[in-house]
Amino acid sequence: MIFFNYFFFYYYFFLQGLLSILRKLKSTPDQEVRILLLGLDNGGKTTLLKQLASEDISHITPTQGFNIKSVQSQGFKLNVWDIGGQRKIRPYWRNYFENTDVLIYVIDSADRKRFEETGQELAELLDEEKLSGVPVLIFANKQDLLTAAPASEIAEGLNLHTIRDRMWQIQSCSALTGEGIQEGMNWVCKSVNAKKK
Amino acid sequence: MLGCVWHYVYTSFLRYWLKWFIRQVTGTCELQRICDGYQAGAARATRTEYSLRSSKNKVLRAALETKKADLWPRVDLIMKEKNIKPQKDPQFKERLHICLLQITGYSSLFVSVENLRKEVFDSDNPEHEAMLMKLWHLLMPTVNLESRVTKQWGDIGFQGDDPKTDFRGMGVLGLSNLVFFSENYTMEARQVLSHANHPKLGYSYAIVGINLTEMVYSLLRSDALKPHFYNTVQGSPELQHFQQLYCYLAYEFDKFWVAEEPESIMQFNQYREKFHNIVRTHLQDPDVSLKLSVSAAN
Repeated sequence: MIFFNYFFFYYYFFLQGLLSILRKLKSTPDQEVRILLLGLDNGGKTTLLKQLASEDISHITPTQGFNIKSVQSQGFKLNVWDIGGQRKIRPYWRNYFENTDVLIYVIDSADRKRFEETGQELAELLDEEKLSGVPVLIFANKQDLLTAAPASEIAEGLNLHTIRDRMWQIQSCSALTGEGIQEGMNWVCKSVNAKKK
Repeated sequence: MLGCVWHYVYTSFLRYWLKWFIRQVTGTCELQRICDGYQAGAARATRTEYSLRSSKNKVLRAALETKKADLWPRVDLIMKEKNIKPQKDPQFKERLHICLLQITGYSSLFVSVENLRKEVFDSDNPEHEAMLMKLWHLLMPTVNLESRVTKQWGDIGFQGDDPKTDFRGMGVLGLSNLVFFSENYTMEARQVLSHANHPKLGYSYAIVGINLTEMVYSLLRSDALKPHFYNTVQGSPELQHFQQLYCYLAYEFDKFWVAEEPESIMQFNQYREKFHNIVRTHLQDPDVSLKLSVSAAN
């Protein structure tokens, strides 16, 4: 009988402990963050998205429409929307602005011929009312290429230092090798936390 | 759990005992029974492949990795090993040879497709450039390109002023599929292009084509195309058979898209997934044979 009692108590406390752990897990669901990934075509948005989700990046094709993936990071559930960048579908970008927490703008640092075009698109995005105050991270992508312009040069060309109405950051990266992406995403999480306060 | 145990017991003991028993009774080996009892195509080739793969005999297993030129001697070896007399079963040799061509051909087809995919489009390569120009002239016979880099490429559904950045992960494979469709089904390709250029229901012809190349490539890689090729090619499948299948997909996707009337191009990936599931369902049918057929209504 004594043996049975011991067993019963152990079992009871074990269950209690398990339940409390489960309750704790349930009470702090990951905060959802809506991230918009924009930029010209061939900038590397889909490669970046797949890299974030740790997926194979060797069979990527141009994006018709959009892709969406959810990634867990630092207690956040990041819902990342990767919208195609070709000129024909840029007018649809605005359909995805609502409730955006962070904007990630991707630039092909080696495609100097299109710096002007990409700068114009970014400027228009920053003027959008629905995106006002939304933190923006600029990825100076394709740094693995020898011809890539450094992030500082791009920041200067885009006059980023004149941005006063929101948090912003430029991060050099290579979506191909994964370099610099983590640093960028750390900034994203930090800026979401800062906005919350 | 029980299923796992049964599977283990069956594949490691029962199957062999059963085979031995039937062999004693009928006097024929499993390969003979397959080649005789099942119709040419997926029914025969799939079973032959399974039989060879699960064989304990090295001579039989090695048949799956034999080069095309060495297949006849390999068939002779197998017949010797299994003690099959040509006089008693005159059709066996030819039938097994065809099955082996189909099975090993599928693997070598993947190798050649993969090589083409890995070939990066290079503007300095005259062959690549010639293919690109050919594509333009096949689709737009009455319009001249103003220059190599021009907004006109958008008219056949490339993204920017220079198509070279659009091939990406599909490389020259994407381009050669686009050219193959336009060359062998010129009227159909132009018809599809005219649908793609519809102001409301339109999509980017070339980009969607490259996307469909990715679809047919992934299906090939996952072995999902085996029954189709086993049914349609009585020998080793070649690149042109793969490209025929691309034509089928390009044509059928367009029909599907037009019939579904999606809200806008932004819905592309949902409809692509839906179309992909339809194709997969077709491919699960053992009698599958996907061929582009032009309906009279068009």
